[in-house]
Amino acid sequence: MSLIREIYKHRYIYSLAIPGLLILFVFSYLPLAGHLLAFKSFEHDKGIWGSPWVGFDNFRFFFGNPDWIHITWNTVYLNSLFLIAEIGIATLMALFLNEVRHVLFKRFLQSVVFLPYFISWLVVSLMVFGLLSNSDGMVNHFLAKSGIEQMDWYQTPWIWPIILTVTRAWKSAGYLSIILLAAITGISGEYYESAKIDGATRLQQMTKITLPLLRPTIIVLTLLGIGRIFYGDFGMIYAIIQDNGVLFSTTDVIDTYSYRALRQLGDFSMSSAIVLYQSIMGLVTILIFNTVVRKIDNDSRLF
Amino acid sequence: MEKILNFIIYSFLGLFAIGSLLPFWMVLINSFATESSLIQDGFQLWPSEFGLGAYRFLLKGHQVLNSYGITLIVTIAGTAVALWVTAAFAYVLAHPKIKYNNLLSMMTYIPMVFGTGLVGFYLLIVNWLNLKDTVWALILPYLVNPFLAFIFVAFYRTLPYEINESATVDGANEWRIFFQIVRPIVTPVMVTVGLFYALQYWNDWWLGLLFIDKSEMYPLQILLRQLLGSADALKLSATYGISPPSTGIKLAMVIITIGPIIFAYPFIQKYFVKGLTIGAVKG
Repeated sequence: MSLIREIYKHRYIYSLAIPGLLILFVFSYLPLAGHLLAFKSFEHDKGIWGSPWVGFDNFRFFFGNPDWIHITWNTVYLNSLFLIAEIGIATLMALFLNEVRHVLFKRFLQSVVFLPYFISWLVVSLMVFGLLSNSDGMVNHFLAKSGIEQMDWYQTPWIWPIILTVTRAWKSAGYLSIILLAAITGISGEYYESAKIDGATRLQQMTKITLPLLRPTIIVLTLLGIGRIFYGDFGMIYAIIQDNGVLFSTTDVIDTYSYRALRQLGDFSMSSAIVLYQSIMGLVTILIFNTVVRKIDNDSRLF
Repeated sequence: MEKILNFIIYSFLGLFAIGSLLPFWMVLINSFATESSLIQDGFQLWPSEFGLGAYRFLLKGHQVLNSYGITLIVTIAGTAVALWVTAAFAYVLAHPKIKYNNLLSMMTYIPMVFGTGLVGFYLLIVNWLNLKDTVWALILPYLVNPFLAFIFVAFYRTLPYEINESATVDGANEWRIFFQIVRPIVTPVMVTVGLFYALQYWNDWWLGLLFIDKSEMYPLQILLRQLLGSADALKLSATYGISPPSTGIKLAMVIITIGPIIFAYPFIQKYFVKGLTIGAVKG
């Protein structure tokens, strides 16, 4: 009752939220009904509600094939690599940019490293191709000129976790460094003043003042990453790898796998089962990590 | 010691900066190479022979112009509507009189954490709303971006509450306060958030990949994808009536796609920095 009274009392304010709530409801909450299909055998003419229940058959099928281990491992492994590389490089970059005293030069460097954030992964995928293509790529040309043996990159699965990590760091380190640099700017100048009086070198100021004070921001960024560790970066991986099956053993993640199940095999039920499995794993991760973080550093917890 | 530190700092930043620009240069300069020089020497820092063949080929058909139109419509309409929807929605989240704004914030966060489920989303757009192969499928799902909504919230919270109080005393209702008093004040934030939305719409290919199959409805990114994927390129070359697109055409297509972003970049970059800074301070 109090809910209705509250809404009626502030009806003008609440009414401003209606379009946004409608969009959220339709595009973020209604699709959750699709999870039901994980327990059904989807028939197009009968739709989500009319299709017959099959219990856990879809899961039995999904877990009966060793693919699920590969894609789960790849998702977690690649995301961990991305997270470490991204945040490590972005932190170094922010610390270093902060040391550049020439304002215009600093701004120039910042603009340049931020640029890759502005292009789509499809564009990046052509850049990767231009560098690594077997016959035309710049890297192989360079290797040939230097007398080193060329590599058939697109046929060599083991190297792709490294390539993807470098690509990812290339695209997002500049972006993350801006967030970290904003946090550095917020640090009071007094710390540095008194450190200088005590004779601290610049390196000491970086490692003993700036880095510890950046810790909360770094923790938040890491937690956001860990919270999404079961969600592969579809836009990136599908753009770069496409349907190159040779590389699936190291690059296929849950998201590309469920996409292909849906769009190429047309297996709606199986795709639902995979996505539901992913959501549950994601939820469990968040809950566990939030508990751990609460114990270690209560201020950084998410909820 | 100081010198070594400086050396490390400048070589790290310098190398990263060169590494950031090199792929852009490679795509740009090789898009002006002739096809024969690309076939013979592959990608180069400075092609042996220059020509405009790739651009001529791309601009001959209707497809590129058509796709440009679709992407422009989606970006402009999407950004305009998303800005209003998000600004109004965030206003309620930030309003001090509202008792349930925590609940509303939770509702906004949750889909960020869980994802919505690919299959349900696909069926919703294709079967229930019947939006396959329409621009609506490319616009509607992105109208409320939680991250951008919270940039608005952070800014609204910095406004003095007296604005609201004195306007209420003067007899203005909440609509008038929002549209005539608060909205003009948040113009700078609208510019920032608007640019984030525009970039998202311009660069997105996920929605196009899922929902656009007809070539006359291809946005730029999907056209680019068709050209990049060799199998799909064969299909597309049928609409051009010429042999499958070669490397030069892919490169030229990339330049056509990112051109507007690169031209605008020097002017818009600072707004993105500002947006990220607001978000970071808010934590």
